[in-house]
Amino acid sequence: MLRYLAKKLITLVLLLFLVSITVFSVLFVLPGDPAQIILGINATPESLASLRADLGLDKSFLGQYGDWIGKLLVGQSHQSIHYKMPVFELVLSRLAVTGPLALLAMLFAVAISIPLGIYAARHQNQRGDVTVMAFTQLGLATPEFWLGILLILLFSVQLNWFAAGGFPGWGTDPWGSFKALLLPAFALGVIRASILTRLTRSSMLEVLREDYVRTARAKGLRESTVVYGHALRNALIPVLTIMGLQLGQLLAGAIIIENVYFLPGLGRLVFTSIGMRDLPVVRDIVLLMATAVVSVNFIVDLAYAYVDPRIKLK
Amino acid sequence: MKRALVIGFMILVIAPLTWAAGETPKKGGSLIVCVGDEPPGLDPTASASAAIDRVVYSNIFEGLVKTDRNGKFVPGLAAKWDVSADGKVYTFQLRKGVTFHNGETFNAQVAKWNLERGAAEGTKNAHPEFFRAIEKIETPDEFTLKLTLKDVNSLFIVQMAEGDSVMLPMKGFENTAAQPIGTGPFKFLEWKRGDSVEMARNEKYWNPQLPYLDKVTYRFIKDPSAQVAALKAGDVDILGWILAPEIAMGISRDKKFKVLSGASTSEVIMSTNNKVKPFDNKLVRQAIAHAIDRKTVNELVVLGYGTPIGSHWSPITPFYVDLTKKFPYDPKKAKELLAKAGYPNGFEATIKLPAIYPYANKAGEVIADMLGQVGIKLKIEIVEWGFWLDRIFKQKDFQLSMIGHAEAWDIGIYANPNYYFQYDSQEFRDAYNQALKATTETEQAKGFARCQEIIATDAVNGYLFASPSLSAMKTELMNWWKDYPTIALDCTEVWWNK
Repeated sequence: MLRYLAKKLITLVLLLFLVSITVFSVLFVLPGDPAQIILGINATPESLASLRADLGLDKSFLGQYGDWIGKLLVGQSHQSIHYKMPVFELVLSRLAVTGPLALLAMLFAVAISIPLGIYAARHQNQRGDVTVMAFTQLGLATPEFWLGILLILLFSVQLNWFAAGGFPGWGTDPWGSFKALLLPAFALGVIRASILTRLTRSSMLEVLREDYVRTARAKGLRESTVVYGHALRNALIPVLTIMGLQLGQLLAGAIIIENVYFLPGLGRLVFTSIGMRDLPVVRDIVLLMATAVVSVNFIVDLAYAYVDPRIKLK
Repeated sequence: MKRALVIGFMILVIAPLTWAAGETPKKGGSLIVCVGDEPPGLDPTASASAAIDRVVYSNIFEGLVKTDRNGKFVPGLAAKWDVSADGKVYTFQLRKGVTFHNGETFNAQVAKWNLERGAAEGTKNAHPEFFRAIEKIETPDEFTLKLTLKDVNSLFIVQMAEGDSVMLPMKGFENTAAQPIGTGPFKFLEWKRGDSVEMARNEKYWNPQLPYLDKVTYRFIKDPSAQVAALKAGDVDILGWILAPEIAMGISRDKKFKVLSGASTSEVIMSTNNKVKPFDNKLVRQAIAHAIDRKTVNELVVLGYGTPIGSHWSPITPFYVDLTKKFPYDPKKAKELLAKAGYPNGFEATIKLPAIYPYANKAGEVIADMLGQVGIKLKIEIVEWGFWLDRIFKQKDFQLSMIGHAEAWDIGIYANPNYYFQYDSQEFRDAYNQALKATTETEQAKGFARCQEIIATDAVNGYLFASPSLSAMKTELMNWWKDYPTIALDCTEVWWNK
């Protein structure tokens, strides 16, 4: 077990090293000078040179890479060029928006898709099923930014129930902050629910044809006990896998909906930082996301090994 | 299109009347201003970024001189100033009783330190040349500042009114980019990254009558449809910058809001690389000038809200000369000139448009069509902003591009042959130097008129229109600036009539 762990850990470190090199190189060759973007097009060459030196941009490729990794290794935070604050704090404050947003969106998606999927499976090819499937088709075809704008027009501009966007901050206004996340989370959730509904339905249909379900019915169990007690648990396994993937996507990529609702989330931070060439921020976030994905896979690997002893032997 | 003009005209006429009906301003209330771009830090002395000035200029920070809503240079931290007869010595009488938001006193020593800081070796100021023009700084007493310039500089007062020249406190200046401390009518409260900058009334402002508002928040919303939704839902009170013309029309129909349509200092030009073929040929550039129908460009790109220009000078900047008649729209003449230049069948060229500016993309398409009609086939390439700065602005790797030059009084860029459009003319440099050395207003007017004329005749760039300043706000909001003669959204005299 220890050897297995060590082997996995070494791969993990190597992988992250490769990721860091790739991220750094890509951003290094990207045209566009952060100093020029900050100072504007009428700045004198001297001011530009001075700022470049200040930002460490006058150093060689290796020098800059060393600066970056060195600071990370000793746990020091980089400074955002655009926002003039430590990247670490910046990312944390953005996660406080994007994290709850992603969770809330998943909550909506699950609350809509699981009951609908079960309903559709139990009424296969009947009118209810066809209606549900038609709606999921519509959901799949709807771009989320458009749904977002429609929701704003109805609930913010017409009914005035919600703010049209923005985020007051958990510290100053917790209830307002929660409300600010509801519409965007719903827009994100509905679209994802379409996929999950179809998945739940097909997975449920498959399980309902299994022998043990027939046995349960033959025993004379009530239909609801058969469906919810026996079939549902097994039917949810593929659904959970996809949900995990979706959650990961939501954390990294709610860029569009964050722009529509001008939420200060992680996705918009990456987006604006690339535009502003705020390289320390972009590099750190990409590395953070890569680390998250790699670590999750690492944990999953460990979990497999725990569940299935045969894996250790390989 | 006509209707847009009529509505625009009505707004222009009616808006000032409603102010003139003038109740006395009321104190109190808070204001949320929507702007498109979040500034890269809040220190105007460390960046020429327009987004910074739009939040802090005249709100948090002030310089010796201010630009007012009419483009006039009025006393800021200097109560008055005199210029010696030879135009070299400026004596500023500073305001007494001015304190920074952290309690530090403003006096001649502080002003001297600020000017020296801008000129220092390794300064972060984007315009050190403003301060290096000063040969000697004297402080005869606590509130008198005597500056001796190396040479006569007719733009000195203009430069002292820029955001680059605002005054910072000697002790509390270190963290200006994140925690700005100035002398302005509003003091900085908080910068919520990615969302807003908040500021509150400075109770100790040197003018006890001002400001009227208790609190001002600048909120950053880039997407135009999100901006409108925010205004209509009441999340923001005004769309200050930048309002898309299409949106202005829609909002002006809603009785709850009013739209102000004025002029700005941003000249939208089709920048032309004067060093590459075939644009190094003056005849080709003049042919293009004849092939552009400026009136139509203005109508198609900004729905007629802008003002056609014939040179690199905005109509609201003093000493403006209307040169739009110099090359009237005349496709036949354009073709003749092209033939004379050796291109009887036209040629192909590439125009690179910066993606972040919608007006530039639209103008690019319109121009491509107009030039196509005289035989110049344009290939349109849309590029990202960082790419534009690197390839076009820095490496000059382009034939044509499209951009708004936001700064007022920036005709001096034509005196620099290394500037990205690479215009190299001794005649212009002489004229510009002469204009800078002018000591009387008449001479200055003559000098700068000459500068405008030379680059118009040389058709250095395709001069299209001065961008409109469009803002949309709740009808109860009073005294917002109609024109933007400088890069600022100044809330000092804005008040709520409710």
